[in-house]
Amino acid sequence: MIPSLPFLCVITDETLCPVTLAEKVLEGGAAMIQLRHKTASGSQLFLWAVEIRKRCQQYQALCIINDRVDIALASKVDGVHLGQQDMPAKTARKLLGETCIIGVTASSPEEALQAEQDGANYIGFGHIYPTSSKHKESSPLGLDILQKTATLISLPILAIGGINNDNAASVIAHGASGIAVISAVSRVNNPSKAARELVCAINNRIQ
Amino acid sequence: MERQQKASPLPRLFIVSSGEENTDNGLLLLNQLNLLPRSLPCMIQIREKKLEAKELLTLSVKARAIVLPEGSLLLMNERADIALAAGLDGVHLPENACSAKTIRSFAPGLIYGCSVHSKSALLIAEESGADYLLFGPVFDTPSKRKYGAPQGLEKLGEFCQLTSLPVFALGGITPQNAALCMAEGAYGIAGLSIFQDTAKLAETIEQFYLHLNR
Repeated sequence: MIPSLPFLCVITDETLCPVTLAEKVLEGGAAMIQLRHKTASGSQLFLWAVEIRKRCQQYQALCIINDRVDIALASKVDGVHLGQQDMPAKTARKLLGETCIIGVTASSPEEALQAEQDGANYIGFGHIYPTSSKHKESSPLGLDILQKTATLISLPILAIGGINNDNAASVIAHGASGIAVISAVSRVNNPSKAARELVCAINNRIQ
Repeated sequence: MERQQKASPLPRLFIVSSGEENTDNGLLLLNQLNLLPRSLPCMIQIREKKLEAKELLTLSVKARAIVLPEGSLLLMNERADIALAAGLDGVHLPENACSAKTIRSFAPGLIYGCSVHSKSALLIAEESGADYLLFGPVFDTPSKRKYGAPQGLEKLGEFCQLTSLPVFALGGITPQNAALCMAEGAYGIAGLSIFQDTAKLAETIEQFYLHLNR
Protein backbone atom coordinates (compact mmCIF):
# COMPACT_ATOMS: atom_id res chain seq x y z
CA MET A 1 0.00 0.00 0.00
CA ILE A 2 1.21 3.45 -0.87
CA PRO A 3 1.40 5.58 2.31
CA SER A 4 -1.46 8.00 2.86
CA LEU A 5 0.65 10.61 4.66
CA PRO A 6 3.21 12.62 2.69
CA PHE A 7 6.13 10.25 2.23
CA LEU A 8 9.73 10.13 1.12
CA CYS A 9 10.96 7.92 -1.70
CA VAL A 10 14.69 7.51 -2.12
CA ILE A 11 16.06 6.50 -5.49
CA THR A 12 19.43 4.79 -5.22
CA ASP A 13 22.47 6.63 -6.47
CA GLU A 14 24.81 4.73 -8.79
CA THR A 15 27.86 6.03 -6.94
CA LEU A 16 26.98 4.27 -3.66
CA CYS A 17 26.11 0.75 -2.57
CA PRO A 18 22.31 0.80 -2.83
CA VAL A 19 21.84 -1.53 0.14
CA THR A 20 23.91 0.69 2.43
CA LEU A 21 22.08 3.79 1.24
CA ALA A 22 18.71 2.08 1.73
CA GLU A 23 19.61 1.07 5.29
CA LYS A 24 20.55 4.62 6.17
CA VAL A 25 17.54 6.38 4.67
CA LEU A 26 15.08 3.80 6.03
CA GLU A 27 16.46 4.63 9.44
CA GLY A 28 15.74 8.26 8.62
CA GLY A 29 12.11 7.51 7.74
CA ALA A 30 12.02 6.87 3.99
CA ALA A 31 8.85 4.95 3.11
CA MET A 32 9.87 3.79 -0.35
CA ILE A 33 13.19 2.75 -1.89
CA GLN A 34 13.53 2.65 -5.64
CA LEU A 35 16.45 0.52 -6.78
CA ARG A 36 17.75 2.16 -9.91
CA HIS A 37 21.03 1.18 -11.50
CA LYS A 38 21.36 1.26 -15.25
CA THR A 39 24.71 -0.51 -15.59
CA ALA A 40 24.58 -3.25 -12.94
CA SER A 41 24.25 -6.86 -14.08
CA GLY A 42 21.04 -8.81 -13.62
CA SER A 43 22.50 -11.00 -10.90
CA GLN A 44 23.80 -7.97 -9.01
CA LEU A 45 20.44 -6.19 -9.25
CA PHE A 46 18.67 -9.31 -8.04
CA LEU A 47 20.95 -9.62 -5.00
CA TRP A 48 20.52 -5.95 -4.15
CA ALA A 49 16.74 -6.19 -4.58
CA VAL A 50 16.51 -9.15 -2.19
CA GLU A 51 18.61 -7.33 0.43
CA ILE A 52 16.77 -4.02 0.11
CA ARG A 53 13.41 -5.79 0.25
CA LYS A 54 14.38 -7.42 3.57
CA ARG A 55 15.36 -4.09 5.03
CA CYS A 56 12.22 -2.38 3.75
CA GLN A 57 10.07 -5.06 5.37
CA GLN A 58 11.67 -4.29 8.73
CA TYR A 59 10.54 -0.69 8.37
CA GLN A 60 7.21 -1.41 6.63
CA ALA A 61 8.59 0.48 3.65
CA LEU A 62 8.13 -0.35 -0.02
CA CYS A 63 10.83 -1.65 -2.33
CA ILE A 64 10.45 -0.75 -6.00
CA ILE A 65 12.71 -1.66 -8.95
CA ASN A 66 13.34 0.73 -11.79
CA ASP A 67 12.62 -0.63 -15.30
CA ARG A 68 13.41 -4.31 -14.66
CA VAL A 69 10.07 -6.10 -14.35
CA ASP A 70 11.99 -9.39 -14.59
CA ILE A 71 14.07 -8.56 -11.51
CA ALA A 72 10.96 -7.39 -9.65
CA LEU A 73 9.26 -10.72 -10.36
CA ALA A 74 12.36 -12.67 -9.38
CA SER A 75 12.98 -10.82 -6.12
CA LYS A 76 9.29 -10.45 -5.17
CA VAL A 77 9.62 -6.80 -4.30
CA ASP A 78 6.59 -4.53 -3.97
CA GLY A 79 6.67 -3.05 -7.42
CA VAL A 80 8.33 -1.43 -10.39
CA HIS A 81 8.92 2.09 -11.55
CA LEU A 82 8.66 2.59 -15.30
CA GLY A 83 10.01 5.47 -17.33
CA GLN A 84 8.44 6.48 -20.63
CA GLN A 85 11.12 4.45 -22.47
CA ASP A 86 10.46 1.32 -20.38
CA MET A 87 7.84 -1.37 -20.79
CA PRO A 88 4.34 0.15 -20.95
CA ALA A 89 2.43 -0.02 -17.64
CA LYS A 90 -0.40 -2.02 -19.22
CA THR A 91 2.02 -4.73 -20.32
CA ALA A 92 3.80 -4.73 -16.98
CA ARG A 93 0.46 -5.10 -15.17
CA LYS A 94 -0.29 -8.31 -17.05
CA LEU A 95 3.03 -9.75 -15.91
CA LEU A 96 2.98 -8.45 -12.35
CA GLY A 97 -0.67 -8.94 -11.37
CA GLU A 98 -3.11 -6.60 -9.67
CA THR A 99 -1.48 -6.29 -6.27
CA CYS A 100 1.93 -5.18 -7.45
CA ILE A 101 2.69 -1.44 -7.36
CA ILE A 102 3.46 0.20 -10.69
CA GLY A 103 4.82 3.73 -10.77
CA VAL A 104 5.20 5.65 -14.01
CA THR A 105 7.34 8.68 -14.74
CA ALA A 106 5.43 11.58 -16.27
CA SER A 107 6.78 14.95 -17.37
CA SER A 108 3.49 16.50 -18.42
CA PRO A 109 -0.16 16.42 -17.36
CA GLU A 110 -0.89 14.39 -20.53
CA GLU A 111 1.62 11.70 -19.65
CA ALA A 112 0.24 11.59 -16.11
CA LEU A 113 -3.31 11.09 -17.41
CA GLN A 114 -2.14 8.38 -19.77
CA ALA A 115 -0.32 6.60 -16.96
CA GLU A 116 -3.48 6.70 -14.86
CA GLN A 117 -5.49 5.20 -17.72
CA ASP A 118 -2.81 2.53 -18.16
CA GLY A 119 -3.31 1.35 -14.60
CA ALA A 120 -0.39 2.93 -12.77
CA ASN A 121 -0.60 3.14 -8.97
CA TYR A 122 1.39 6.33 -8.64
CA ILE A 123 3.04 8.92 -10.82
CA GLY A 124 6.62 10.09 -10.54
CA PHE A 125 6.25 13.66 -11.72
CA GLY A 126 9.08 15.98 -12.62
CA HIS A 127 11.43 17.45 -12.72
CA ILE A 128 9.86 20.16 -10.58
CA TYR A 129 13.04 22.19 -9.93
CA PRO A 130 16.45 22.23 -11.59
CA THR A 131 18.41 19.15 -10.54
CA SER A 132 21.99 17.98 -10.53
CA SER A 133 21.26 14.24 -10.36
CA LYS A 134 20.30 13.78 -13.97
CA HIS A 135 21.09 15.67 -17.11
CA LYS A 136 17.86 17.27 -18.30
CA GLU A 137 17.13 18.81 -21.65
CA SER A 138 13.73 20.17 -20.74
CA SER A 139 13.14 23.02 -18.32
CA PRO A 140 11.74 22.40 -14.81
CA LEU A 141 7.96 22.00 -14.61
CA GLY A 142 7.44 24.15 -11.53
CA LEU A 143 4.69 24.13 -8.93
CA ASP A 144 1.83 25.37 -11.13
CA ILE A 145 2.02 22.42 -13.51
CA LEU A 146 2.34 20.09 -10.53
CA GLN A 147 -0.83 21.53 -9.06
CA LYS A 148 -2.68 21.36 -12.37
CA THR A 149 -1.69 17.70 -12.77
CA ALA A 150 -2.73 16.90 -9.19
CA THR A 151 -6.23 18.19 -9.92
CA LEU A 152 -6.44 16.19 -13.18
CA ILE A 153 -5.62 12.77 -11.78
CA SER A 154 -6.59 10.89 -8.66
CA LEU A 155 -3.37 8.88 -8.31
CA PRO A 156 -0.72 9.79 -5.74
CA ILE A 157 1.96 11.99 -7.23
CA LEU A 158 5.58 11.66 -6.21
CA ALA A 159 7.28 14.92 -7.04
CA ILE A 160 10.88 14.64 -8.17
CA GLY A 161 13.68 16.95 -9.21
CA GLY A 162 15.60 19.41 -7.09
CA ILE A 163 13.53 18.93 -3.96
CA ASN A 164 15.17 19.89 -0.66
CA ASN A 165 14.31 20.86 2.90
CA ASP A 166 13.38 24.38 1.85
CA ASN A 167 10.95 23.60 -0.95
CA ALA A 168 9.60 20.18 0.12
CA ALA A 169 6.62 21.58 2.03
CA SER A 170 5.44 23.70 -0.90
CA VAL A 171 5.60 20.70 -3.23
CA ILE A 172 3.23 18.87 -0.87
CA ALA A 173 1.07 21.99 -0.62
CA HIS A 174 0.75 21.93 -4.42
CA GLY A 175 -0.76 18.46 -4.50
CA ALA A 176 2.11 15.98 -4.30
CA SER A 177 1.60 12.94 -2.05
CA GLY A 178 5.28 12.56 -1.56
CA ILE A 179 8.72 13.41 -2.84
CA ALA A 180 11.43 11.39 -4.52
CA VAL A 181 15.08 12.33 -4.10
CA ILE A 182 18.48 11.06 -5.11
CA SER A 183 21.32 13.46 -4.42
CA ALA A 184 19.59 15.21 -1.50
CA VAL A 185 20.23 12.11 0.59
CA SER A 186 23.07 10.34 -1.22
CA ARG A 187 25.58 13.12 -1.73
CA VAL A 188 25.64 14.23 1.89
CA ASN A 189 27.65 13.15 4.91
CA ASN A 190 24.70 11.75 6.78
CA PRO A 191 21.95 10.19 4.61
CA SER A 192 19.87 9.18 7.66
CA LYS A 193 19.79 12.74 8.95
CA ALA A 194 19.06 14.14 5.49
CA ALA A 195 16.17 11.70 5.06
CA ARG A 196 14.81 12.53 8.52
CA GLU A 197 14.87 16.25 7.77
CA LEU A 198 13.03 15.74 4.49
CA VAL A 199 10.37 13.60 6.18
CA CYS A 200 9.89 16.39 8.74
CA ALA A 201 9.73 19.02 6.01
CA ILE A 202 7.01 17.26 4.02
CA ASN A 203 4.99 16.73 7.16
CA ASN A 204 5.42 20.35 8.25
CA ARG A 205 7.19 19.28 11.38
CA ILE A 206 9.94 21.39 12.79
CA GLN A 207 12.88 19.33 13.91
CA MET B 1 37.67 -39.87 -29.79
CA GLU B 2 34.06 -40.70 -30.56
CA ARG B 3 31.66 -38.55 -28.58
CA GLN B 4 28.15 -39.40 -27.61
CA GLN B 5 25.48 -37.65 -29.67
CA LYS B 6 22.98 -35.67 -27.69
CA ALA B 7 19.27 -35.86 -28.24
CA SER B 8 17.35 -32.62 -27.95
CA PRO B 9 14.48 -30.98 -29.78
CA LEU B 10 16.41 -27.74 -30.17
CA PRO B 11 17.45 -26.60 -33.66
CA ARG B 12 21.19 -26.96 -34.26
CA LEU B 13 21.84 -23.53 -35.69
CA PHE B 14 21.83 -20.49 -33.41
CA ILE B 15 21.71 -16.94 -34.75
CA VAL B 16 22.62 -14.07 -32.44
CA SER B 17 21.19 -10.73 -33.59
CA SER B 18 23.66 -8.05 -34.65
CA GLY B 19 23.36 -5.73 -31.66
CA GLU B 20 23.37 -2.88 -34.15
CA GLU B 21 19.68 -2.00 -34.11
CA ASN B 22 19.13 1.62 -33.09
CA THR B 23 15.35 1.75 -33.28
CA ASP B 24 12.45 -0.62 -32.88
CA ASN B 25 12.32 -0.83 -36.70
CA GLY B 26 14.93 -3.56 -36.30
CA LEU B 27 15.50 -3.72 -40.02
CA LEU B 28 18.40 -6.16 -40.06
CA LEU B 29 16.86 -8.59 -37.56
CA LEU B 30 13.45 -8.63 -39.23
CA ASN B 31 15.12 -9.03 -42.61
CA GLN B 32 17.14 -11.98 -41.30
CA LEU B 33 14.01 -13.63 -39.91
CA ASN B 34 12.17 -13.20 -43.19
CA LEU B 35 15.04 -14.78 -45.11
CA LEU B 36 15.41 -18.01 -43.12
CA PRO B 37 15.09 -21.04 -45.43
CA ARG B 38 11.67 -22.62 -44.88
CA SER B 39 12.79 -26.11 -43.95
CA LEU B 40 15.76 -25.27 -41.71
CA PRO B 41 14.84 -24.36 -38.12
CA CYS B 42 17.01 -21.91 -36.18
CA MET B 43 17.36 -20.54 -32.68
CA ILE B 44 17.39 -16.75 -32.88
CA GLN B 45 18.53 -14.66 -29.94
CA ILE B 46 17.40 -11.04 -29.89
CA ARG B 47 20.33 -9.26 -28.29
CA GLU B 48 20.04 -5.52 -28.89
CA LYS B 49 21.69 -3.64 -26.07
CA LYS B 50 21.25 -0.20 -27.59
CA LEU B 51 17.49 -0.42 -27.29
CA GLU B 52 15.42 0.60 -24.27
CA ALA B 53 12.91 -1.90 -22.90
CA LYS B 54 9.96 -0.36 -24.71
CA GLU B 55 11.73 -0.49 -28.08
CA LEU B 56 12.94 -4.01 -27.38
CA LEU B 57 9.39 -5.10 -26.67
CA THR B 58 8.06 -3.48 -29.85
CA LEU B 59 10.80 -5.11 -31.91
CA SER B 60 10.16 -8.49 -30.26
CA VAL B 61 6.46 -8.30 -31.03
CA LYS B 62 7.32 -7.58 -34.68
CA ALA B 63 9.78 -10.48 -34.72
CA ARG B 64 7.19 -12.82 -33.21
CA ALA B 65 4.71 -11.91 -35.93
CA ILE B 66 7.02 -13.35 -38.59
CA VAL B 67 6.32 -16.95 -39.51
CA LEU B 68 9.60 -18.81 -38.89
CA PRO B 69 10.70 -22.21 -40.18
CA GLU B 70 8.93 -24.93 -38.20
CA GLY B 71 10.77 -25.78 -34.98
CA SER B 72 12.51 -22.41 -34.78
CA LEU B 73 12.81 -20.73 -31.40
CA LEU B 74 12.91 -17.01 -30.70
CA LEU B 75 14.86 -16.03 -27.60
CA MET B 76 15.34 -12.76 -25.73
CA ASN B 77 18.66 -11.82 -24.23
CA GLU B 78 18.30 -11.85 -20.43
CA ARG B 79 14.93 -10.11 -20.10
CA ALA B 80 12.30 -12.75 -19.31
CA ASP B 81 9.73 -9.98 -18.79
CA ILE B 82 10.07 -8.91 -22.41
CA ALA B 83 10.11 -12.52 -23.59
CA LEU B 84 6.83 -13.17 -21.77
CA ALA B 85 5.22 -9.94 -22.94
CA ALA B 86 6.12 -10.60 -26.58
CA GLY B 87 5.33 -14.31 -26.47
CA LEU B 88 8.88 -15.41 -27.26
CA ASP B 89 10.02 -18.98 -26.66
CA GLY B 90 12.87 -18.45 -24.27
CA VAL B 91 15.59 -16.44 -22.67
CA HIS B 92 19.32 -16.51 -23.20
CA LEU B 93 21.23 -15.60 -20.06
CA PRO B 94 24.68 -14.02 -19.99
CA GLU B 95 26.96 -15.25 -17.22
CA ASN B 96 26.17 -12.25 -15.00
CA ALA B 97 22.39 -12.55 -15.28
CA CYS B 98 19.96 -13.84 -12.69
CA SER B 99 20.01 -17.65 -12.59
CA ALA B 100 17.73 -19.72 -14.82
CA LYS B 101 16.26 -21.30 -11.70
CA THR B 102 15.24 -17.93 -10.26
CA ILE B 103 13.72 -16.72 -13.51
CA ARG B 104 11.97 -20.02 -14.15
CA SER B 105 10.14 -19.50 -10.84
CA PHE B 106 8.02 -16.79 -12.48
CA ALA B 107 8.36 -17.81 -16.13
CA PRO B 108 8.17 -21.63 -16.08
CA GLY B 109 7.19 -22.11 -19.70
CA LEU B 110 10.31 -20.65 -21.29
CA ILE B 111 13.46 -22.29 -22.62
CA TYR B 112 16.63 -21.16 -20.84
CA GLY B 113 20.13 -21.07 -22.21
CA CYS B 114 23.31 -19.88 -20.57
CA SER B 115 26.53 -18.43 -21.91
CA VAL B 116 29.43 -20.18 -20.21
CA HIS B 117 33.08 -19.22 -20.40
CA SER B 118 34.46 -21.31 -17.54
CA LYS B 119 33.94 -24.69 -15.95
CA SER B 120 32.54 -23.11 -12.81
CA ALA B 121 29.98 -21.19 -14.91
CA LEU B 122 29.08 -24.45 -16.64
CA LEU B 123 28.39 -26.16 -13.32
CA ILE B 124 26.31 -23.22 -12.10
CA ALA B 125 24.29 -23.21 -15.33
CA GLU B 126 23.67 -26.97 -15.10
CA GLU B 127 22.67 -26.66 -11.47
CA SER B 128 20.24 -23.85 -12.31
CA GLY B 129 18.42 -26.02 -14.82
CA ALA B 130 19.58 -24.55 -18.12
CA ASP B 131 18.25 -26.19 -21.28
CA TYR B 132 21.36 -25.53 -23.34
CA LEU B 133 24.76 -23.88 -23.11
CA LEU B 134 26.57 -21.47 -25.38
CA PHE B 135 30.34 -21.77 -25.32
CA GLY B 136 32.88 -19.52 -26.95
CA PRO B 137 34.69 -17.95 -28.56
CA VAL B 138 36.04 -21.10 -30.18
CA PHE B 139 37.93 -19.35 -32.99
CA ASP B 140 39.17 -15.81 -33.42
CA THR B 141 36.36 -13.36 -34.14
CA PRO B 142 36.47 -9.55 -34.42
CA SER B 143 33.51 -9.01 -32.07
CA LYS B 144 35.21 -10.89 -29.20
CA ARG B 145 38.87 -9.92 -29.71
CA LYS B 146 38.76 -7.43 -26.85
CA TYR B 147 38.14 -10.31 -24.40
CA GLY B 148 41.43 -12.03 -25.24
CA ALA B 149 42.47 -15.18 -27.07
CA PRO B 150 39.86 -17.65 -28.33
CA GLN B 151 39.21 -20.75 -26.20
CA GLY B 152 39.96 -23.22 -29.01
CA LEU B 153 38.60 -26.55 -30.16
CA GLU B 154 40.23 -28.59 -27.43
CA LYS B 155 38.52 -26.58 -24.70
CA LEU B 156 35.22 -26.92 -26.56
CA GLY B 157 35.70 -30.68 -26.50
CA GLU B 158 36.42 -30.63 -22.76
CA PHE B 159 33.27 -28.60 -22.11
CA CYS B 160 31.09 -30.89 -24.18
CA GLN B 161 32.41 -33.88 -22.22
CA LEU B 162 31.65 -32.20 -18.91
CA THR B 163 27.94 -31.79 -19.53
CA SER B 164 24.98 -33.70 -20.84
CA LEU B 165 23.37 -30.45 -21.97
CA PRO B 166 23.43 -29.41 -25.64
CA VAL B 167 26.40 -27.10 -26.23
CA PHE B 168 26.38 -24.54 -29.02
CA ALA B 169 29.82 -23.48 -30.17
CA LEU B 170 30.23 -19.76 -30.85
CA GLY B 171 32.95 -17.55 -32.28
CA GLY B 172 34.45 -17.44 -35.74
CA ILE B 173 32.62 -20.54 -36.92
CA THR B 174 31.98 -20.93 -40.65
CA PRO B 175 30.49 -23.70 -42.76
CA GLN B 176 34.12 -24.67 -43.44
CA ASN B 177 35.14 -25.28 -39.82
CA ALA B 178 31.73 -26.22 -38.37
CA ALA B 179 32.46 -29.94 -38.69
CA LEU B 180 35.48 -29.54 -36.40
CA CYS B 181 33.22 -28.23 -33.64
CA MET B 182 30.67 -30.97 -34.17
CA ALA B 183 33.47 -33.54 -33.96
CA GLU B 184 34.36 -32.14 -30.52
CA GLY B 185 30.85 -32.91 -29.34
CA ALA B 186 29.06 -29.63 -29.98
CA TYR B 187 25.32 -29.98 -30.36
CA GLY B 188 25.14 -27.04 -32.72
CA ILE B 189 26.74 -23.90 -34.05
CA ALA B 190 26.09 -20.28 -33.10
CA GLY B 191 27.12 -17.14 -34.91
CA LEU B 192 26.56 -13.44 -35.19
CA SER B 193 28.58 -11.68 -37.92
CA ILE B 194 28.35 -14.51 -40.43
CA PHE B 195 24.56 -14.15 -40.57
CA GLN B 196 24.60 -10.41 -41.19
CA ASP B 197 25.22 -10.64 -44.92
CA THR B 198 21.55 -11.02 -45.77
CA ALA B 199 22.27 -11.50 -49.48
CA LYS B 200 23.96 -14.80 -48.58
CA LEU B 201 21.97 -15.69 -45.45
CA ALA B 202 19.92 -18.54 -46.90
CA GLU B 203 22.97 -20.02 -48.60
CA THR B 204 25.06 -19.73 -45.41
CA ILE B 205 22.40 -21.52 -43.37
CA GLU B 206 22.08 -24.26 -45.99
CA GLN B 207 25.85 -24.75 -46.00
CA PHE B 208 25.96 -24.94 -42.21
CA TYR B 209 23.22 -27.52 -42.17
CA LEU B 210 25.30 -29.84 -44.35
CA HIS B 211 27.47 -30.31 -41.26
CA LEU B 212 24.77 -30.22 -38.58
CA ASN B 213 22.37 -32.99 -39.45
CA ARG B 214 23.59 -35.98 -37.54
